[in-house]
Amino acid sequence: MNWMWFHKLGSPKWFFFRTKAWALPLFSLGCVGLIVGLIWGLAFAPADYQQGNSFRIIYMHVPVAILAQSCYFALGVAGFVFLVWQMKIAPIFIKAMAPVGAIMALIALVSGAIWGKPTWGTWWVWDARLTSVLVLFFLYMGIIALQKALDDPVLANKAVAVISVVGLINLPIIKYSVVLLETLHQGPTFTLTKKPEMPPEMWLPLLVCMIGMCFFVAGLVIWRMQSEILQREHRTSWVREEVMKNGL
Amino acid sequence: MTYTSFLVSEFLLLWRRKQDVINALLFFVIVVTLFPLGVSSSAEFLAPAAGGIIWCAAVLAIMMAVEGMFKEDFRDGSLEQWVVSGLSLPILVLLKVVAQWLVVIVPLLAMMPILSEMLYLSDASFWVLIMTFLLGTPSLFLIGVIGAALTVSLRQGAMLVMLLILPFYLPVIIFSTLAIQAADAGLPYSGQLALLLAMSLLSLILSPFMAAIAIKASAG
Repeated sequence: MNWMWFHKLGSPKWFFFRTKAWALPLFSLGCVGLIVGLIWGLAFAPADYQQGNSFRIIYMHVPVAILAQSCYFALGVAGFVFLVWQMKIAPIFIKAMAPVGAIMALIALVSGAIWGKPTWGTWWVWDARLTSVLVLFFLYMGIIALQKALDDPVLANKAVAVISVVGLINLPIIKYSVVLLETLHQGPTFTLTKKPEMPPEMWLPLLVCMIGMCFFVAGLVIWRMQSEILQREHRTSWVREEVMKNGL
Repeated sequence: MTYTSFLVSEFLLLWRRKQDVINALLFFVIVVTLFPLGVSSSAEFLAPAAGGIIWCAAVLAIMMAVEGMFKEDFRDGSLEQWVVSGLSLPILVLLKVVAQWLVVIVPLLAMMPILSEMLYLSDASFWVLIMTFLLGTPSLFLIGVIGAALTVSLRQGAMLVMLLILPFYLPVIIFSTLAIQAADAGLPYSGQLALLLAMSLLSLILSPFMAAIAIKASAG
């Protein structure tokens, strides 16, 4: 197998030109998916027989909650890639991803609280999944804080990669440990192995929201990575050419 | 420099700077005192909460002790000496953690009978508390050392280390307090102790290497 593409991926310049055309289409596709999915889910999907209309917040809550966790996983993998192969693009990815992930964890917490009030009668319980998302938010904030505190870019790259890897290793332990707290949260909405328990009119818009959210985040992160690359490489000639030719 | 001379000099340094350890211990006692005064001093509240209170206070005190571990070494250039000494950096980190752990944990344990008496902890739970300390605190030191190594070049890194590292301490606190609660209720608690030991062993394998990467980046 040819591994050339893998090594090329490490070069910010190659990455910049490769993904230059992607950011906007991905982002717009995500926006369209989100808008379609949300309108479909909020206005046309049938109401839940138990929870009534309050269940509709699921169309926001589940996509961000799932992505907040998968994005942390991606951060850990990027950290590992940087520590092992020293790829310059990995810390750029972490820096671009961490604030997005933190905001998604925050939205998951807030939307969950808003959902919890009518269904459980309380804004917050110290339940396994709520707590693990809260911890996830702390982990994201820790990465952002470390990134901001270290001025030396070389050190910041290393440090952020180390803490991401440590977080990746610890995340299952944290999740497992909080599972021992009692749980009130309903079971997972989507699993890869089983058919959803909801009727298709209800889960189809959710799937559209989910996919839209993925595209939205992908576009956003690529965008952020591109501006970060331009900032970091601002001394090189290719950035000067690029900016002279196409503007910012 | 050999590993033995390194360890001896670490102990000597800790002995010469004993005020730091005393400060951490005082901090521990004061945090414990906050709970009876701040929440409730009744035995009905304190007895079930005692294990958790002692653990939370200990976690903060350990954080305080670990956070500045490499500060002096960074300032006087010892860190660079470790990197170029030809000795294995992860092992040096491990030795330093061992020295620090012994110096902090022994007085902490010595104070445990007094504090658990003051918080009305039951006799059955007391020994479980001691066991959770022996099995769980190594992992606290080992994880904390990563944070200390990452922020060593910062002038004021204490808050940042807390922010970075405290989330990783949650499982240790959860399993320890669960073990103490189980012992209180007369249930078996060996599972939780085994998990604490597992976490300590896992961090024993990983954290010296992570800390070494961070030290190399900071010193270089």
